[in-house]
Amino acid sequence: MHAGSAGTLADGRRRSDTALELLQAQRPSAWPRVLLDRAGRYDADGAFADAEAAGAWSVWREVMSTSPRAIIRIVSESRLRGRGGAGFPTGDKWRTCHNQTADQKYVVANGYEADPGALLDRTLMELDPHAVVEGVALAAYAVGATKAYVVVKSTYRTAVRRLENAIRGAEQAGYIGIDALGEGFDLQIELVELQGAAVLGEETTLLYALMGKKPLPEQRPPYPAVQGLWERPTVVNNVETLAAVPWIIANGSAAFAKIGAAESPGTTLVQLSGAVAHPGVVEVPLGTPLREIVEGVGGGVARGNLKALLVGGAPGGFLPADGLDIPLTFDALEAAGAGMGSGTILVVDDSACIVDVATLMTRFMNDEACGKTIPCRIGLKRLTEIGERFTSGLTRPTDLTVLRDLCADVRDSALCGHEYAATNPLLSGMRYFPQEFEDHIARGTCPAGVCRRLSVAAALA
Amino acid sequence: MTDLAIRTRRPAAPAAPTTAPDAVAERLLDTQSPQRPQVTPAFTIEVDGRQVTGHAGQTILEVCRDNGIEVPTLCFEPKLPGFGACRMCVVDVEGEEHPPISCSRSAEAGMVVQTQTPRLRQIRKTNLELIFSDHNAYCLPPCQNKCPSHIDIPGFLKANTEGNWHESARIFKRTIPFPSVLGRVCPAPCEEHCRRDEVEEAIAIRDSHRYAGDQVLKAQANGAPAPVPFELQRKSGKRVAVVGSGPAGMSAAYYLLIAGHDVTVFERDPAAGGMLRYGIPQYRLPKVEILEGEYEAVWQLGGKLVTNAALGRDFTLDDLQNQGFDAVCVAIGCYDTNKLGVPGEDADGVLDGLEYLKVATLGLPYPGHAGKRVVVIGGGFTSMDCSRTSVRQGAAEVTLVYRRDMKDMPAANEVHEMLEEGARAIFQAAPTRVLADDHDRVTGVEFQRMRLGAPDASGRRRPEPMPGTEFVIECDRVLLAIGQGPELDWVGRGAEGVTATKNKRLAADAVTFATGRRGVFGTGDVRIGASTVVQAVAEGRRAAYGIDAYLKGLDLDAIKTRQTLAEPQPEFLSIVPYADEVKEPRYRLTSMPADVRNKSYVEYEIPYTQRDAMAEAKRCLQCTCEAIGYCDLRRQGIEYGTTLKTLEPQNRGAYSFRSVTENRFTGANHDYIRDDSHAFILREPSRCIDCGRCANVCKEIVGAACYDFMRTGFDTLVTTPLDMSLNTTPCVSCGRCAETCPTGALMPKPRVLEKYDVDETRCILCGICVDACPYDALRCGPDFELTHDSRAEPMVDLMATSAIDRDSEVTFIRRERDWLVRAHESGRSLNAGVMLPVLPASIANGHGNGNGHGRGGHGQDGHGHDRHDHGGGAGGGRAHAR
Ligand SMILES: Cc1cc2nc3c(=O)[nH]c(=O)nc-3n(C[C@H](O)[C@H](O)[C@H](O)COP(=O)(O)OP(=O)(O)OC[C@H]3O[C@@H](n4cnc5c(N)ncnc54)[C@H](O)[C@@H]3O)c2cc1C
Ligand SMILES: Cc1cc2nc3c(=O)[nH]c(=O)nc-3n(C[C@H](O)[C@H](O)[C@H](O)COP(=O)(O)O)c2cc1C
Ligand code: SF4
Ligand code: SF4
Ligand code: SF4
Ligand code: SF4
Ligand code: FES
Repeated sequence: MHAGSAGTLADGRRRSDTALELLQAQRPSAWPRVLLDRAGRYDADGAFADAEAAGAWSVWREVMSTSPRAIIRIVSESRLRGRGGAGFPTGDKWRTCHNQTADQKYVVANGYEADPGALLDRTLMELDPHAVVEGVALAAYAVGATKAYVVVKSTYRTAVRRLENAIRGAEQAGYIGIDALGEGFDLQIELVELQGAAVLGEETTLLYALMGKKPLPEQRPPYPAVQGLWERPTVVNNVETLAAVPWIIANGSAAFAKIGAAESPGTTLVQLSGAVAHPGVVEVPLGTPLREIVEGVGGGVARGNLKALLVGGAPGGFLPADGLDIPLTFDALEAAGAGMGSGTILVVDDSACIVDVATLMTRFMNDEACGKTIPCRIGLKRLTEIGERFTSGLTRPTDLTVLRDLCADVRDSALCGHEYAATNPLLSGMRYFPQEFEDHIARGTCPAGVCRRLSVAAALA
Repeated sequence: MTDLAIRTRRPAAPAAPTTAPDAVAERLLDTQSPQRPQVTPAFTIEVDGRQVTGHAGQTILEVCRDNGIEVPTLCFEPKLPGFGACRMCVVDVEGEEHPPISCSRSAEAGMVVQTQTPRLRQIRKTNLELIFSDHNAYCLPPCQNKCPSHIDIPGFLKANTEGNWHESARIFKRTIPFPSVLGRVCPAPCEEHCRRDEVEEAIAIRDSHRYAGDQVLKAQANGAPAPVPFELQRKSGKRVAVVGSGPAGMSAAYYLLIAGHDVTVFERDPAAGGMLRYGIPQYRLPKVEILEGEYEAVWQLGGKLVTNAALGRDFTLDDLQNQGFDAVCVAIGCYDTNKLGVPGEDADGVLDGLEYLKVATLGLPYPGHAGKRVVVIGGGFTSMDCSRTSVRQGAAEVTLVYRRDMKDMPAANEVHEMLEEGARAIFQAAPTRVLADDHDRVTGVEFQRMRLGAPDASGRRRPEPMPGTEFVIECDRVLLAIGQGPELDWVGRGAEGVTATKNKRLAADAVTFATGRRGVFGTGDVRIGASTVVQAVAEGRRAAYGIDAYLKGLDLDAIKTRQTLAEPQPEFLSIVPYADEVKEPRYRLTSMPADVRNKSYVEYEIPYTQRDAMAEAKRCLQCTCEAIGYCDLRRQGIEYGTTLKTLEPQNRGAYSFRSVTENRFTGANHDYIRDDSHAFILREPSRCIDCGRCANVCKEIVGAACYDFMRTGFDTLVTTPLDMSLNTTPCVSCGRCAETCPTGALMPKPRVLEKYDVDETRCILCGICVDACPYDALRCGPDFELTHDSRAEPMVDLMATSAIDRDSEVTFIRRERDWLVRAHESGRSLNAGVMLPVLPASIANGHGNGNGHGRGGHGQDGHGHDRHDHGGGAGGGRAHAR
């Protein structure tokens, strides 16, 4: 163990790897740990035995003597929901895949982390790569896959190194590979590095990239669990989802289901960024009110007053300051017009202009789109343009109506979640900050004083 | 779909060889047929309230199409699985929150589907509008639509940019025979809606065809024949009498002559030309060089002219028809000047403007005009010409008075020229009485001011009198130019059947131009009332089509639709405005200084130089698309109402609707360069809607993979790698991409016939050209070397070829089976290795000597001599070769 030695942080990360501060100190000790339970208790670059000693792969032997159905039942009973953003029940996904008859099935761990501002999956993969690999093995065993891919963004060098290390270790230990543990179970896990636009994180797009084809999203259904890689049933799960599974097997589904909210139990990683006093990543039980996260852990806004939270990354939604009482659950966030998305909470203080930030997010989403469908390629562009007209004072009288109508039409004809969610920032901005939009459009003023061109345009008018 | 079938139907494990011939074939059918089973389980779904039958494995779209329910698609290529790019095929499925796309969603028993709810239509409309907001193309040129005769304006301007005046003239002579005349006198309604206006200023369309026409006239003066737009038809032996030699009559004569009919023109005046000769003054239209020059084209085609012969005075319709004319075309214009209807208008010195001009256009000074104070009443062409001619004839003072506003004048652009020349103009005033002295000589006119009220039927605001605003203009002469109607006193005398309309026009159909009397047609001003030359030319041209159809014995009512469709349809899609074009102002014609021209009858506008004419034509944005007529995008755009209201609303000319404001989403758009490097395929990426069909077809079906989605976000474009020219990709010129493209982005390229020479001293007889030619135009001769075949007779009769029953897997194997049976029965030796190219040896063994050789000599003897064809006799390679 290197804890405390020079160049290493208390939690076991080397200084050079540090993406963000892990918010350990501010974290209430009552919050249970699932994902980062082992983090810092072993050297992720070290020997496989150290990881094993810390608890990695401890359930594997037992699992091998349990039926895949039983594993799926445990996962179902834990009510684990996917952490990739949509919160789909993982047990259901596995069962669907399990029930397919096919000569080959696949498991794909999605560690692409599309949102460029998010560093949660990276934190997890760096701190406990073994949990991810073990989760992949569990998923493969449960659905009957003999081949699995762990997809990581190429720039995550440390995560790549450590995952590679973890896979090799498991292979050498005989946990995976041909005839693993002599139980007749074959599993080959391959690490794949990818780099590209944000939409690559979307599952069907990711699968196309894995197949070496032009990555464009594909219409679902059929879902990948029915027809995925090379048209074979494929489970695609977020790395965080998978990392939770070994804990569930070890501690039982009831223990997991007890944590956090009833509809979405367990913990999740959350990243605080923006105008917050302590930016960083923290493991939070789902169902925790945002106030406890932002003010309790993050220490509230760094200066000025809290104006809004942008929850879920670029395609996320704004919540007003009084949205701090909303609990962090898939359904509550969805109902409030935001979403779990990438798991980031961007804290916005009153020096920022909502219209401006929303426009920025929309533009980002348009630039990162694959351009396959018309509502996405042109529709998002037009939304961006409308936003830009608001912030530059060149509004057309019909803009507000067009914006609303276009958002509705884009959502209804969306092919993938990218274009659907890309409407969130503007829609939620209009929902919670109508006055601010009104000021830009009708009065040509920006209350936050951000949109400078507005005053110029107003002076010219 | 197909892959689904492949995927779920695994090949059965090879069974033990059997000896029964039937079983062999059936097994082959079973194991080798890649087809879907012919019968799949059927089920019922509800679509738009109808119970329809679908089959397992079909998508909702396929079920709909099988049952004749139309769901719009743009990105769907029937040979491939649904792609999901265009989102046009969305349908409602009961119980689902978001509408799925029907091209990719499997139909399931009991589904309840709606294809046409208002919400779906709205989504589709939004998608189309989004497409058009980045569709840097234009289906139909607004100029061409606005031109009454629908000249192919971008077409002739293109020829102009190349300085190809002859070709240019040929193009406009397809719709107007007199480009130089119209290049001088046309009010150019086409320019009103020119899209170049969105960049800076409309194209000088009129001045451009004036220049091109003039070049052709110059060449004609040097003995070159006038260009003829169409192939001359064989003589029909039919005779047509055209009455009236104005633009309407002459244009009818022109197209009738081309159609092969014998035409005689009867003219009341001593020379041909109508208003062109006796109305429009010399300084605007030189009579000898231009008018007679262009009319010459008609005489060159064999037109005959009879002058000093007036209908009603010298002959009747009865006479003409009795003389053996198979058809008569009445195009006698409008010569009955309207009366003012105010007291005193019969006073001495109140003249008919047309009478006045008729004398003046002969070059004669009108008696006693010099030094007089002249008032001209009216606002049309006649009033303008009366005023400007009066100035030239030395009138002391010329005042034009018009009851509406200046912008409502048909010849508004001439007003400032008139003012420069020294006349005055007063608008919004109408005469109330003519003042005269004791000798009944005019001394002045009293006017009353008019206020502009609500727009009337013509779209112009109706003038309303304002009592108490009377004023008097003193003068010695009054020229009346307030419009004219046709002289119809000949109707009824030897013209039974012909009638007049309520507003005293000759009654004739607007499409077929037939009057109430069989074989008699009416066209031009006499039918529509005084209008414009270009209108008259268009009338004449269309009447010629009607007369031609009549002479061919066609049912005139039946051809109405076709005739209507032959003219461009004014449906305009709200396509992107031009914004990025480099600004280049219009090349303007200059005029002689006003103080020179106001004494002269010489043409006062100074024509373009060749350079100007070419440069002006280059400004044209070429708003036209070859795909119009078969473009799915346009069809759906019209269906879903993403059109501009129209460029010509009910009331003419009052508003102009522009694409800029019509599309909700107008914003940034792309301007891509056309790729015409490829010999067969024309790429116009600006018209591409990124549906991906070409990329998918080229990759999945052809295997060449020339295109793909490139770049991301708004800049995504389906194009070649690095946007290289298609010619440099692995394209095999199969044309499948052009075939599948729903728009005009990929099109078969119009071919220019070239002559190919083979240098036989260098040919190594490799035969690659023989293999490569897609049309079998080259092939090996009997001596296995290149020989010359006749190209005169079609070597490949495409119709016959398509009628041949092609082998499918099933028919082929069936035939093989029969052949096996036959051979077996006749006890022939069966060398399976040679005779059966596809039957595996193990199977064939059961029937023959079993040399264990499964594959035959496929391709060994080259060039289509496939052995397996011999048994079927469907025409193998040898049957072709001579
Ligand atoms: C002074 C003036 C200036 C104009 N300037 C312009 C202009 O600048 N631009 C523009 O576009 N339009 C202009 N117009 C309108 C245009 O000239 C007419 O709309 C057009 O000429 C109509 O063509 P048409 O062939 O129907 O009739 P016309 O040109 O009037 O031809 C009819 C012919 O029939 C002959 N005819 C008449 N009665 C008989 C009969 N009973 N028997 C035998 N022959 C007969 C006439 O002599 C004449 O030759 C002008 C009109 C006038 C009066
Ligand atoms: C535009 C877009 C980007 C996405 N990016 C990611 C990503 O970076 N990581 C991820 O795990 N899931 C991402 N997803 C979600 C995946 O499509 C998929 O739902 C998820 O990987 C499934 O895992 P889960 O069931 O464990 O959540 C993205 C989805 C969309 C629409
Ligand atoms: S591609 Fe279709 S819609 Fe576009 S300009 Fe051509 S005809 Fe019109
Ligand atoms: S730019 Fe050319 S094609 Fe387009 S409207 Fe003008 S003249 Fe016609
Ligand atoms: S013509 Fe060329 S580009 Fe088009 S489908 Fe065929 S091979 Fe591909
Ligand atoms: S060029 Fe290709 S992508 Fe573009 S519209 Fe045509 S078929 Fe579709
Ligand atoms: S999305 Fe179905 S046809 Fe284009």
